[in-house]
Amino acid sequence: MDTKTLIKDAKARFAHNSAKAYLKEKYDSKLIIAEQGGLWKADAQTIALLQAFSNQFETKTVLIDTFDNPVEIDATALLETLSTTYNNVMTEWYAEWQELETKR
Amino acid sequence: MARIRNETVSRGVVLFAFNSSKYNYVEMAEYCARRAKSFLDLPTTIITDEESAETITYDFDNIIIVEPDKNNIREHQVWINKGRYQAYELSPYEETLVLDADYVINSDKLLKTFDFSDSFCCHNRTEMLMYPNAPQEFLSSYSYSSLWATVIMFKKSTRAKQIFDALEMVQNNYDHYANIHSFVGGIYRNDYGLTIALKIVNGHSDVPSDYIPWNLVHVGKNTSVYADAPDTFDCKGEDFNTEFTVMFDNWKNSKMRKEYLNIKDMDFHIMNKDLFEGIMNG
Repeated sequence: MDTKTLIKDAKARFAHNSAKAYLKEKYDSKLIIAEQGGLWKADAQTIALLQAFSNQFETKTVLIDTFDNPVEIDATALLETLSTTYNNVMTEWYAEWQELETKR
Repeated sequence: MARIRNETVSRGVVLFAFNSSKYNYVEMAEYCARRAKSFLDLPTTIITDEESAETITYDFDNIIIVEPDKNNIREHQVWINKGRYQAYELSPYEETLVLDADYVINSDKLLKTFDFSDSFCCHNRTEMLMYPNAPQEFLSSYSYSSLWATVIMFKKSTRAKQIFDALEMVQNNYDHYANIHSFVGGIYRNDYGLTIALKIVNGHSDVPSDYIPWNLVHVGKNTSVYADAPDTFDCKGEDFNTEFTVMFDNWKNSKMRKEYLNIKDMDFHIMNKDLFEGIMNG
């Protein structure tokens, strides 16, 4: 029996809250990357901080990574990597969210 | 005794699989190995016993035969899960991913674990599919939150060796540690053994880089998973299904309502072996 028939026969409802949790679980992990000797999450807070540093003349700075270690980084280079990761992951996340949102 | 067919490579996957009277763990390991090869592009080594090795049909890169420790009984049956500490000595790789045979790989995410630590990492948190706020498991009310031996990445190093040596020591004195940590001994669990071993090596503190920075996704109680399509293997190559339907029996006010969720490209671990067999068979 294919899964579509299974869902129909069981009169199962699509679980939107679980879908949200699943997407967060899946895509949150994709935001984590190892770069320049530290582990980073490409989230809004980190990107905003890096943006502030990269606008300065000296872009070398020290940040605390997700393992709580201080790491010396080049803010401009890290910003570029994290921004790219953020955009790619969020685009995928949004696309899959739209796909699931229509289910009943 | 080891039968190594190919040259040692620096990075790979190690799977422990010993068939029981009820389940064919070698078949599960083969399913896992095919996916490891496809999604992670890593060679695979199976560690098994002589009897189980006779059932191997997949072309593992290495087959290592060991004497099984049958001194673990679960639900009136022998459950061969002891000896995980041997992964360090037996792994032919400098950098190793040790996976439970019932772990379903659907992405290349595990490759990131090699970047996270110079010695060792495993999961310290879980997420239950369709049960988002499920509590974390503790060894007991008086002890640590459990770590998970389902996915372990280690690199040959003094520290990793210490962890696996400690795991052996804990396994050999499991009832003693069960007594100290107030959990029910008897049935040996690698998760609990690993939790205690890692805490001992770390001086009973936490080292953040020992933990994989995302949750281990479990398929838990009242939950079923079905593959949306079977894997296909033919002359054109291998095509792996990565889309699954998850069904959950949601009980509320003594009434059960079926709910479902579609997932894709997400790794997960199935605790229920009957479910896993269903997925393997499409």
